Amino acid sequence: MTTVKFKHGMVAPLVALFVGVVGFPLGYAFYLSITDYKLTSHGTPKLVGADNYVATVHDSAFWEAFGTTATFVFLAVGLELVIGLAIALALQNQRWARDLTRSMLLAPMFITPIAVGLIFRFLLNDQIGAIPHLLQAVGVDYDFFGPGKALFTLALIDVWQWTPFMVLLLLAGLESIPREPLEAARVDGARGWYVLRRVTLPLLAPVLVVAILLRCLDAMKVFEYVFATTRGGPGTETQTLQYFVYQTGIQFFRLGSASSMAFIVLLLVLTVIVVAFRRMDKAKQS
Amino acid sequence: MAIVRFSGVNKSFRSTSVVSDLNLELPDGSFTVLVGPSGCGKSTSLRMLAGLESVTSGTITIADRDVTQLQPRDRDVAMVFQNYALYPHLSVRENIAFPLRAAKEPRANALKRADAVAESLGLAMFLDRKPKALSGGQQQRVAIGRAIIREPSVFLFDEPLSNLDAKLRVETRTELLQIQRRLGITCLYVTHDQEEAMTLSDRMVVMRDGRAVQVGTPIEVFNSPVDTFVAAFVGSPKMNLIAGELTGETFTLPSGFALNVGRVGASGPVTLGIRPDDLVPTVADDADARVKLVELLGPRAIVTVDARDTELTCVVEAARLSGITEGTRITLSARPGAVHAFDTKTGQRLVGADQEKHDG
Amino acid sequence: MRNSRTLTICRVALLWAAGISVLFPVVWIALASVKTPEQLNDPFLLSFAPTLDGWRNVLSSGILAAAGRSAIVALTTVGISVVVGSMGAYAIARYRAGGTATRFGMLAAQVLPPAVLVFPFLTMAYALRLNDTLVPVIFAHLSFVLPVVTWFLIGFFEAVPRSLEEQAQVDGFTRFQAFRLVVLPQVFPGMGAAAIFGFTLSWNDLFYGLILAPGKAAILPVAIAGFNTFRGVQIGSMSAAILIAVVPVVIASFFIQRRLVQGISGGAVKF
Repeated sequence: MTTVKFKHGMVAPLVALFVGVVGFPLGYAFYLSITDYKLTSHGTPKLVGADNYVATVHDSAFWEAFGTTATFVFLAVGLELVIGLAIALALQNQRWARDLTRSMLLAPMFITPIAVGLIFRFLLNDQIGAIPHLLQAVGVDYDFFGPGKALFTLALIDVWQWTPFMVLLLLAGLESIPREPLEAARVDGARGWYVLRRVTLPLLAPVLVVAILLRCLDAMKVFEYVFATTRGGPGTETQTLQYFVYQTGIQFFRLGSASSMAFIVLLLVLTVIVVAFRRMDKAKQS
Repeated sequence: MAIVRFSGVNKSFRSTSVVSDLNLELPDGSFTVLVGPSGCGKSTSLRMLAGLESVTSGTITIADRDVTQLQPRDRDVAMVFQNYALYPHLSVRENIAFPLRAAKEPRANALKRADAVAESLGLAMFLDRKPKALSGGQQQRVAIGRAIIREPSVFLFDEPLSNLDAKLRVETRTELLQIQRRLGITCLYVTHDQEEAMTLSDRMVVMRDGRAVQVGTPIEVFNSPVDTFVAAFVGSPKMNLIAGELTGETFTLPSGFALNVGRVGASGPVTLGIRPDDLVPTVADDADARVKLVELLGPRAIVTVDARDTELTCVVEAARLSGITEGTRITLSARPGAVHAFDTKTGQRLVGADQEKHDG
Repeated sequence: MRNSRTLTICRVALLWAAGISVLFPVVWIALASVKTPEQLNDPFLLSFAPTLDGWRNVLSSGILAAAGRSAIVALTTVGISVVVGSMGAYAIARYRAGGTATRFGMLAAQVLPPAVLVFPFLTMAYALRLNDTLVPVIFAHLSFVLPVVTWFLIGFFEAVPRSLEEQAQVDGFTRFQAFRLVVLPQVFPGMGAAAIFGFTLSWNDLFYGLILAPGKAAILPVAIAGFNTFRGVQIGSMSAAILIAVVPVVIASFFIQRRLVQGISGGAVKF
């Protein structure tokens, strides 16, 4: 067998399966997005061209959901970055019970998100939650899921679950930084904070970018926390994009519109990825 | 009969030619070494014989069988890689027996034969260990054991000694040669080390930029290099190559420095080649060549000489070193008949030293 | 020197704080699972007579069946992904099969919002009368597990020296045999980590499960969500259900955390 045949033979199942479970559904989703398909309708759906897209772009609820999600992502990933970096640095220099500490601190990211959402729903609940009890004991009355605070609370839940992921990536990055520049800096007389700012962080930059990118793309898909706690409320304060699409498609059965919304989100995601790829390629070449 | 033939073999990657018009015949049971600097195409040529690289044009035959389009496993060749390529997850015994498993040999048989081969290579006590528990030299012997167990038509070696330290390299070199002689298998060996090539080969192929520049026995290549590249590549320390004017028996450099070279069958502007062993320094207080450096290597010494701003190298026996130290003024003369003349523009040989030596 | 002391104190304090924030909710839930509704009113009640009502409730509610279904889906998804993905990742790592487009595709598929693919899967499931079965769920899970596993493995395959499979070919094996007998064993640790990671991703999915199999074929996260109705939640039972979902995966994570760092730095960090 020639090299070419072997290469193609080995990758063929992957490509075939990929087309089957991603490519084809993607195409079908696009088709849905240009029809007026409703889950309750019978007969062939009517092609409505770009109608769904136009409607979505003009739908203020959609853009509100977009804004809500953006705020959520910004809050969550921002906090995860800072806290994650601190923990990664702390873990890197740890001496005793190393594996155990790491396993324990990484555990939250493996828990099913709906469970995490439900745990916090009750942990932060007014009446029976432990945290509000603690706060009330020191005189603070804070309604975690109340107006103006719910989105922030959800961000905190995301931080609890996904900071470990950030820690994982940053640890991997820190451990792959060459020792020599750091040692040279110390020999040159630089001290802790300065070394961090001027040597470690710049060397860590590529990993940081990847970590932020992956986390942002993942945080955009937030659904379980909303589903477990606020269901979009109070009002539409926590109506994130994925939840909004879910409502449109499953609660209101409008699959056509829902698909068009999903595609617009997809386009945004792909743009971000492509731009990020280009920047990183350029950075690698320079 | 396992004669190997390369006929008009070319290899190019996209538009870059890596091997051009290689025509080579390896007689049965011979030990041929492909030698040259990095990028000269020697490894690619070896890999084409193995079947690991495709041939762009030309044919390769083994024992009169055209193997050009065949997969490696159908060519009946065995290969030892530079990093030995031992299977990390298998024991030494299983590593050596591995090729037999490919030939569908029953497991018990294969392991028994592996034990015998390991015994002959002094590896009997390592049979159950994994490769990473062995030293470099031992790993190398396992690789050799894996190659010989199949009794193939051709042995291929891709710089197998490069990863060993200098002393081990010399010892293993001798072992390799003895094994090949004992088994009588045709062997193609690649190295960048000209000393290895000289000591191991029946025939040497000096390669450069994808071409075989000179093919011959080590003596032939050493004594009659076909151009300045081969002349400089083979032999250590490097041959002195100087451009100048040859008139009668005197060779004059552009700087005016003159050298007596005896009868050379050429005249006019030439590039002269004299091996350091053939350049003899004599102490003379009024001479215009000065000793720059003396490096003692035990029985011999390398003397670097400044001859009016041209640097020349001589090799002198330690016993004859008296009076020669840094700063000493000396005259230089060439041993009669040991001088090569090359065309200054093309580098091709005009007259070789062998002419004088064999004529005389 | 004083500087490094305070630094160490900060470091240790931070890790303790992190550790407590991680353990606190888990411990609280574990306690909640054995409390009666009245006892739950006091979240810090530590000395009480535990009740197994919650657990009994949960175990008879079909949660274990849901867990079984989750296991079937996850194992099938991971099984297929590992076999197909390892072959493909090998071709991509060694021969650049599919070019940059394939590598990009693997990355893009991991970050695809599930909202995009779920509706086609739903309508196709209805059309084939497979709605509310595990089949569409498996397909849906493949859409993100397969790319992740492949992406992971590409890095591991790139680390295997080419000379190993070339040696196997010269020794008399076909290319596929060389792949199977010599190259694969070198990536087994990476494959294990990728498999466990993929299993976790599938085990934890709610979105696809909720939409494609909401009823009798519910997978575990969906079943847990089922405890969360606005009629009022049996927190004790729900806590027990959560623990059932959480514990196996967390235990598995203990084993792969080191390989995970390797795999992620090999695949994701290196673009």
